[in-house]
Amino acid sequence: MHGRKAYELVKEFASGEKGHLKIFNNELFERVIEECNEHHNALQSLIRKMQEEGLEVLTARTADHYGALIHHLSLIRNKRCLMAYVYNRADIIRDLAWKVGLLHELPREIQEKFSDSEEQYFKDHSKSLKSYMSQLSLNVNVDMVPPKDPYIKVRVLEDLGSGIILSDKSANFARHSMHFLKRTDAEQYIARGLMEELTS
Amino acid sequence: MANYYNIDDILTEEEFVPVVFHKSANGVIIDPSSETNSVEQGAKVELPLWLAQELYLRQAVSISVPACFNQKTRLEIQADAACVDLKSRSPFFYEFGCKIVPLVGDKTVEVLLLSAFKIRYKEILTKAYTAAYTATSQFLTLLTKEETNLYEAAQSSMAAFKKWRMGGPRLQRASVLGRKRKPIE
Amino acid sequence: MASGAGEWSTAQMDDYETLISTTDVELLKRAWRNEKAAPEILPFEEALVKRAKEQIQLMEETVDEFAESGHDPLIASLYQMDLDRAQFLLRSYLRVRLQKIEKFMFYIWKSDAYRHRLSTEEEKFGERCIRDIGKHLEETVLSKLPDNYQSLLKQSIISEEDDMVPEPQLDTFVVAKCQRATRPLFLDGSRQSAGFDNRDDHFQMVPGDLCILRYRPFQEELMSGNISLV
Repeated sequence: MHGRKAYELVKEFASGEKGHLKIFNNELFERVIEECNEHHNALQSLIRKMQEEGLEVLTARTADHYGALIHHLSLIRNKRCLMAYVYNRADIIRDLAWKVGLLHELPREIQEKFSDSEEQYFKDHSKSLKSYMSQLSLNVNVDMVPPKDPYIKVRVLEDLGSGIILSDKSANFARHSMHFLKRTDAEQYIARGLMEELTS
Repeated sequence: MANYYNIDDILTEEEFVPVVFHKSANGVIIDPSSETNSVEQGAKVELPLWLAQELYLRQAVSISVPACFNQKTRLEIQADAACVDLKSRSPFFYEFGCKIVPLVGDKTVEVLLLSAFKIRYKEILTKAYTAAYTATSQFLTLLTKEETNLYEAAQSSMAAFKKWRMGGPRLQRASVLGRKRKPIE
Repeated sequence: MASGAGEWSTAQMDDYETLISTTDVELLKRAWRNEKAAPEILPFEEALVKRAKEQIQLMEETVDEFAESGHDPLIASLYQMDLDRAQFLLRSYLRVRLQKIEKFMFYIWKSDAYRHRLSTEEEKFGERCIRDIGKHLEETVLSKLPDNYQSLLKQSIISEEDDMVPEPQLDTFVVAKCQRATRPLFLDGSRQSAGFDNRDDHFQMVPGDLCILRYRPFQEELMSGNISLV
């Protein structure tokens, strides 16, 4: 049936865990693109046939017209599925840009899921966000959770060394060490899974 | 199309509906019973909704009520709406129904959708707020996508309320990063 | 004071409440809630944001001074908490707006009325968003499709309008709180006129009333500040 491959592509996206990317399914994607071109060829040959028969293509309602119509509809359906696949993945990529992309490289296991164009899009969008924030001289990607205390207790989960200087102190952030930090400083590290918040 | 990129809408439109062709169409292979690559006038075919509705608008086909809204479903819903397996009929039972109604001109589908939704809505919320997870896993398999969303929303609001009451860490690892990797030893 | 210390007359209470409800923090909180609950992007609160930024800066200076002068650390930390809350509100307000721009960029760019709701920085951001996603979609999908199907806004060249643009769902329901008494309202949003006298389905909201309403018919009440969203 027409549009079945395109449906599978969308279905695959929908079956993933919410907010997580699967690897870009290039093979299926290219197959759907191919199908689009096949529909287009079929459409054109039907129209050519109508022209050869001396019919007015825009108004004639022959069996060829309806055949061409079905190919046209199938093509725009395929286009919708392809666009939605890329667009909804881009949603997740933007989310990544918000949460981790502004300051740091993405972990390898996420980058592997991107297509080349998606990798570029991630960079471009991170840049657009950064440029907005620098115009405003205000970071909008901190304070994601309503604040309670200005300082929080954290445990370091991965060795970060002493190279990090936070706004009010620098310390040796060795793995498993515990610190009392400004919330806004710690937030980025917690989001990236390098520290965890401790509650008393 | 306001929801052009909407994944659920796209999936809904892939549901199949029975149509009868009023015109013939050349150069397409969509009628499995036809030996040629064309569809004859009068041919009965199952088409995905996205194709059927556009052809309907151009008076090329007429659409009849899909099987998932048939008499059997109606009787089951009348008997005990909450126990009917709507998911296997269509994971987008309500959305599909809403799209079908204007195409088939059958008012009883409307009534069916509304009454099923009302009864099940209440049931789902009651279960979401009270039942333990194990007791509901059976029940969850009967729900459509919309109903599952509702159930999950209710559960997560409960969880958020409990968390707020008990306190606990508020900042967390970004969920987009996936599950925690095993620490490198 | 006739009624003695600690006891306020109703008039004084009202005055006090009006005063509190018009502080910038309160206004910012309301703008933030409205923006969070509304399905579409609302006009940018330019003056308010400017004032809020100035006040935040002032507070930062105060906190710094306290820290340097070795004042009571408790007081300094109370100031810090207040500052944190104000900053969260401002950031979250701007963030919600940016996320709406990301979501509805094509829709916003189609109408000048919507574009005028953005700040200069937001407009620049939106332009870049459109450029970035446009380039990405072009590269990945559109350039590979047949000629007549390459538009980013139209499904094909025979589409009469831009039929690929996602739109905000204005018919969604919102929870509205009344700030100022409204004129008689109709649930379907129709205006009161002579012909409506015999209709009895109207209602009037008075301050403090909480209603669940369809968003679209009550946009104007929201813009005029008669109701706010929660």
